[in-house]
Amino acid sequence: MTLPARRLPKDLHALEELLRDGQVRRAPALSPRKERALPTGFAALDAALGGGLARGQLHEIVGPPGAGGTALVRAALASATQAGENCALIDPGDAFDPAPCGIDLDRLLWVRPRDPVQALRTAEVALEARFALVALDFGDVSVLPPPRQPRGVIQVVRFEKKPPSPGASPWARLARRAEKHGGALLVLARAAQAGTFAAATIELERGRAQWEGRQGAPGRFLRGTNAVGAVARHKRMPPSPPLPFHLKLEPT
Amino acid sequence: MKIACLWVPEPSLVAALRAEPQLCTEPLAVVQAGRDLGGRAHVLGATGAAQGVAAGQTLAEARAICPRLLTREASPERERAAAQAAREAADAVSPRIEETAPGLVYVDVSGLESLIGDDRAVARELVAAAERVGVRGAVGVAASKSVARLAARAASADLTLEATRWGVGGGAFRVVSPQEQREFLAGLPLDALELPDELRESLRRFGLQTLGEVASLPPGPLAARLGPEAALLSRLARGEDTTALAPRAEPERFEEGEELEWDASSVEPLLFVWKALLDRLAQRLCARGLMARELYLQLRLADGSWDERSLDLAAPTREVAALLQLLRLSLEGRPPPAGVRAVRLSAVVTREVLEQMPLFGPRGASPTQLATAVARLSALVGPEHVGRPQAPDRWMPFAAGCGKFAPPPPPRIAVPAHLELSLAARALRPPRTAEVRCDDSGIPLLVIGEGALGGRVVASAGPWRTVGEWWTDAPIALDAYDLELAGGLLIRAARELATGTWRIEAVYD
Repeated sequence: MTLPARRLPKDLHALEELLRDGQVRRAPALSPRKERALPTGFAALDAALGGGLARGQLHEIVGPPGAGGTALVRAALASATQAGENCALIDPGDAFDPAPCGIDLDRLLWVRPRDPVQALRTAEVALEARFALVALDFGDVSVLPPPRQPRGVIQVVRFEKKPPSPGASPWARLARRAEKHGGALLVLARAAQAGTFAAATIELERGRAQWEGRQGAPGRFLRGTNAVGAVARHKRMPPSPPLPFHLKLEPT
Repeated sequence: MKIACLWVPEPSLVAALRAEPQLCTEPLAVVQAGRDLGGRAHVLGATGAAQGVAAGQTLAEARAICPRLLTREASPERERAAAQAAREAADAVSPRIEETAPGLVYVDVSGLESLIGDDRAVARELVAAAERVGVRGAVGVAASKSVARLAARAASADLTLEATRWGVGGGAFRVVSPQEQREFLAGLPLDALELPDELRESLRRFGLQTLGEVASLPPGPLAARLGPEAALLSRLARGEDTTALAPRAEPERFEEGEELEWDASSVEPLLFVWKALLDRLAQRLCARGLMARELYLQLRLADGSWDERSLDLAAPTREVAALLQLLRLSLEGRPPPAGVRAVRLSAVVTREVLEQMPLFGPRGASPTQLATAVARLSALVGPEHVGRPQAPDRWMPFAAGCGKFAPPPPPRIAVPAHLELSLAARALRPPRTAEVRCDDSGIPLLVIGEGALGGRVVASAGPWRTVGEWWTDAPIALDAYDLELAGGLLIRAARELATGTWRIEAVYD
């Protein structure tokens, strides 16, 4: 119910009663601020994500090598940089190939941390600097802590410097940073890492590779590969059906 | 023309309190272990709390007068930095400045009425600008350099010592308008002037005590009796100073320095010193709207030599934490061969880029934020691991380099990109060696590599030969293959022609 201010009860107690019952609420702003999402460069996936990678949210791409996770990350970076946004790629595995790939390299900050813990800290700094898209490439490294020893196991205690730890909940911290500073965080990993802190989880499956020419014959080459992706979990959208896509191999 | 004079009296004391402002209310004396006074340490300046202690006393005399006296040794590095800070403060008020001696700066303040206000407001602004860089100064404003200098000297009587968040404050000013110039000069005692002893003695014998008495004498006979210096004094007494301001270009470096009382042989004590120096340097840069684009570190070692190093910052910044981390990385990477006795930091500066807020769309990172972030990331992971990716002009497959990250301004109208998903290569740096078994025709059949990088080859293509860089020490000659392993993994492998060894260069993903 919308009431002009002059029709609100003058009695303070009556107004408090209405507020307590939830009958009076603050009206939404006339033009609600809705930040444009960052397209991934894959139209079907953008539709399943509700427009693309939402700013201020953490997104996760999970899939085995060869399923196109790196290709999706590069496509998202290419789409964002070509739109004039500054992006950061956190690459602890030093796996990025700067060969022509559609990414506007002038707008891409490439950071190669030494270990996953440093990579998480680096991603925080990049989000604080208001990069529109921060891609965290854990395709070659694992950030999950080793499983705890069962109780009762006697361990030899050594007085040595502890290795750096990612902290109690690095993903919660990163999700908060992304929300506070308005950047989209895209994590590529081989197994799910962020859990419920991810606004969307995109799962990928490897398909068949496509070859051109007869085995052993000259002129044979790899044309590309097929893969299937799906938005397995999204905070505001229903899970998507399988989205098949083809990854073409550009000649080098 | 209106001239302001910024004078920093007791430079040793101000420089010491600028580094330790909490000592303003303590009985403190700055001492110099000089060669005069029989080689004994003597006082250069003291705070008001050290009652009875004055410049020129020996340290023993000063301690006898004030038993609770704290002492600090005079530091030329600190004094140099304080004098430079005073010059920057003057430059923040007006671009036309002349520094005739360390801590004595003349400023052309003509035409600042519409910008700052009347003469008193200009003088107040100059005092405040000096305090913003941690320097307490006396300011005089008058129609000429000499009168402004005398006005500053007159204002120094009102100076106090106050600890501020930037250093030491408590400055004072005196404005002498053209109408009151004659009266001001007439009342000044001759002792307030820096006159040669011979001339001072001659004037005293004539019974002259003030400038007004000198002005009442005819200038010609006075010059004939006492020489050209007396003629200059006579002109000054009548306010006839025609010395023009000679503005000089400001050097591009901002420096802060500190001398240690001991030889620092580890990083930790130096970090404390650097932190204080960087805090002051950042404050000076902030006051001028500047950022450091290069940082020079000079260390005077125990053997008297200098260890100099340059830190090329990835992006201009004045963030102390990032700069401190870079200094630490530099020292840990290349420790000095001997203990450190003095430290000097110099910054090459550039203008701060102001942020233009967008009318539509989300607010992105400002150039300053980007620069700070790049500096922080460089400090975190090393400057060689942060930057714009670039493909070097080489024949080596999957070679990559890092350049300076300087993104262009965003386009006015963003054109939607038309992209096609393409298979990406994840480079393995360095390439992983593997054992590959081939059939008689050379087609790979089995890859034995680390972890998942191995298995039966179900499909392959190649070879593609690359021969290049034979003109260098590391020539490239290899046959490359695309292989599909039994698990579905697609890899790029290569066989070196010279040795026949195989290596896996990339994984397609």
